[in-house]
Amino acid sequence: MTETTTLLAREGAALAIAIEDDATPFVRQIAQALRRAARTGHAVEVLGGAAGAVAVRSHDTPQAATITLGEGTVEVASGVRVVPDATVVVDVHARFASVQEVEGDGVLAAAALSALQPPLPHWREAAASFWNETREIAGIPDVLVVDAVGPDGIEHGRFGVGATEYLLAGPADLLAGIFTGADDLPAALAAGVQVKGTLSQLSVMTAASWKVRFDV
Amino acid sequence: MSDLTQPTRGATAIRLEATNHEGSLLGKNVTPAKFASGKDSGFAFADILFAIDLNNEIVLGDAFPDWRGNLYDIQMVPDMSTLVEWKPGLDSVIGDYWLKDGRPVPICPRNMVRGLLEKLAAHGYTATAAVEIEATLFEESVHEARARGYRDLTPLGGSTGATYHLARSKDWIDYMEAVVARLDELGITWEAWTDEAAPGQTELNLAPTDPLRLCDGWARTRQVMREVAFELGHTVSFMAKPTAGFGQGAHINLSLQKDGVNQFFAEDGPSALMERAVAGLLATMEGATSVVMPQITSYRRLVDLTGPPTTVTWGVNNKTAAVRAITGHPKYSRLEYRLPGSDVNPYFALAVVLAGVLAGIEKELEPPAQVSDMAWCLPDDGVVKRIPDTMSKAGAALDADPLLREYLGDEFVDFWVASRRWEWMEFHTKGGDPFAELSAWESTRYFEFP
Repeated sequence: MTETTTLLAREGAALAIAIEDDATPFVRQIAQALRRAARTGHAVEVLGGAAGAVAVRSHDTPQAATITLGEGTVEVASGVRVVPDATVVVDVHARFASVQEVEGDGVLAAAALSALQPPLPHWREAAASFWNETREIAGIPDVLVVDAVGPDGIEHGRFGVGATEYLLAGPADLLAGIFTGADDLPAALAAGVQVKGTLSQLSVMTAASWKVRFDV
Repeated sequence: MSDLTQPTRGATAIRLEATNHEGSLLGKNVTPAKFASGKDSGFAFADILFAIDLNNEIVLGDAFPDWRGNLYDIQMVPDMSTLVEWKPGLDSVIGDYWLKDGRPVPICPRNMVRGLLEKLAAHGYTATAAVEIEATLFEESVHEARARGYRDLTPLGGSTGATYHLARSKDWIDYMEAVVARLDELGITWEAWTDEAAPGQTELNLAPTDPLRLCDGWARTRQVMREVAFELGHTVSFMAKPTAGFGQGAHINLSLQKDGVNQFFAEDGPSALMERAVAGLLATMEGATSVVMPQITSYRRLVDLTGPPTTVTWGVNNKTAAVRAITGHPKYSRLEYRLPGSDVNPYFALAVVLAGVLAGIEKELEPPAQVSDMAWCLPDDGVVKRIPDTMSKAGAALDADPLLREYLGDEFVDFWVASRRWEWMEFHTKGGDPFAELSAWESTRYFEFP
C-alpha cells in the first residue's frame, strides 16, 4: 500500500489514505476524492467513526474497488475480494453519484458516498490549486486563462505569468470539477467546456487533468 | 528483398506501407503517376498516425515534440529495395518517415532500427536476426468473427492443442501451405512452420537475415496471413492471447558477425561478446518489456510454466529463461530473446534488442550468473527479478531506464510511456475488465491488430 496522510483542516486530526501498489485508475480516482474530502474536513464529518468494507462498482464498466474504513485509516484496493458490509454502484462520470439502491449497511454506504462527493470549492480557488499542482508537467502552458460562466455572468481569471496561455471556458461548476479532479477534461469537452490552445497543449492539459483526478 | 527498381509495367496502383507505433502496416494506394512524382521527395502523411490508438482515438497526455502540432505533415519516403509486385496490378513498397528538414522522425520504428544498425556497424558488426511468428487460426470468416465480437470462435484444424502435431485437419494445412506459397512469391524467406501448443495455433519461422529486412518480412507476413485467411474464409489473430487459453509470442534470434564470422561463437560456451550482449539485454529487460509487450493482453501471457519467460534471466540452452544462449556451433551460436508477444511491433522489437546488445557492448556490462535451474517459479529472494507483469509497471520501468533512454532516445521513451499510459487508462475506464481472464474489450480492440 502507498499511504498518504492528509491533515484535516478543521479537525486538526489526520486521516491516512492508502492505496495498493500499481493501483488502477478507479482506485486512484476514489483515493483522490477521499483526499479532497479529507483536506476540508468533510471526510471526518461524514465518516465519523464508520468502520467496515464498502464495495464500489462502476455502473457502466467492470471497474470495482473496496474501501476499507478503520480507526483513522482508509484503504482502497482494486476489486472486491471480501464480503463487503455495503455495496454502492456509482456513475464515475457524475462525481460518484449513486445510480441504484445500495446493498447492505445503508448508513455505512451513505457515509462512503458522501465522502466520495466532497463539496467543490469556488472555481477560482480550484483553478489556483490546479495550477500549482501541475507546474511540473512537461509542456504545461505558463498561463491558465479561465472564463467561468456563473449565475451573474462571466467571471475571468488568470493564473501564472509567461508567454504561453491556455483558455478554458464553460460553466463555473464544471470548471471547478475539472480543476479539482471531480470531472475529466476530455469528457468535459463533450459537455460544453471550450478551450483555446494547440492540440499539443490539450494533450498536456489532459495530463494535468489526470494528475488531479488520478494522481498519475 | 526485391530486384525491382521501378513499379511493374502492369501496376495500376502502388501501396505505400509502414508501421506506426502499434505495428500494423499503415499506408495508402497511389497511382503510378503519383508514385513517380513522390518516390524521391516522399508522400505526405499526417503526424496523427503516431497519435491514434487502436480505436482511432487521439492519444492525449504528453507534450508533443516540435515536429508534431495541429496535424502537421510528415514525409513517408519509400525504400525502393522493398518494392515488390504484391499481386497483378498492385505493387507494394515499404517506407520510412522523415521530417521536412531531412531528419528521421525520431519515433519512426523503421528508422530506429536503421540507426541502431549503423551504431553496430561502427563497431564493425553486422547483425543477423530471425523470428518465430505465432498466430492462431479460426474457422470463421472475419465477418463472422466481427459479428461475434471475436469470441467463441472455432479453432481451425481441431479443438485440441498439440505441439508439433502433424495430424491437423486439411483445412489448417491448406491455410499454411497457401501462406508460405505467397511468401515465396513475395521473396520472404521462411524456414519452417508447425503446429503450436494451442488449438488452431501455428508457428511460422522466418529465416535469418539482416534485421531491417526481417522486420519488413515480418510485417508483410502478418499482412499475407490475414489476406490468405480472408480468401479462404477463415480468420487469423496475432493477439498475445486471442482466447482465454494459451498465449502467443514472437521469439527473436540474433547473432553478430564480423567479416562474416559469427562473433557469438566460442569453443567452450558463450563468447565474451555474447556475454556482453546478454548483460545488456538483461539490464534493459524490465524497461524493454513495455515495448515488446505493448498491449494490455500481452501481460496475460506471463504465467509460470506456460511457455513465456517470467523472470529476468538467461541460461545456456534454457528455454525457461528470458534469454536463451545457443552455443557451441560457429553457424548456429545465437541468442534467443523470448520475451516479445506476438502483438509486438516488429521494428520496435528489434530496436530494443539491438539497444540492449549495444548497451552491453559499449558499457562493457557483465551478465549475472546464468540460471541452470528452471527459471519459472523462482523464490522471491531478491536475486532474480520478475518481469513486470502489468502495463503500468513496465511503463514505469521504461521511464526510469537510462540505457534505453540513451539508445532509443528520450523522445521515443517519453512518447511510448505516454502512449501506454493512455492505453492503460482506456482499458480501465472504457470497459476493460482486469478481473476477467480475457475481457471483451480486449478482443474487440486487439483481435485484428497488429
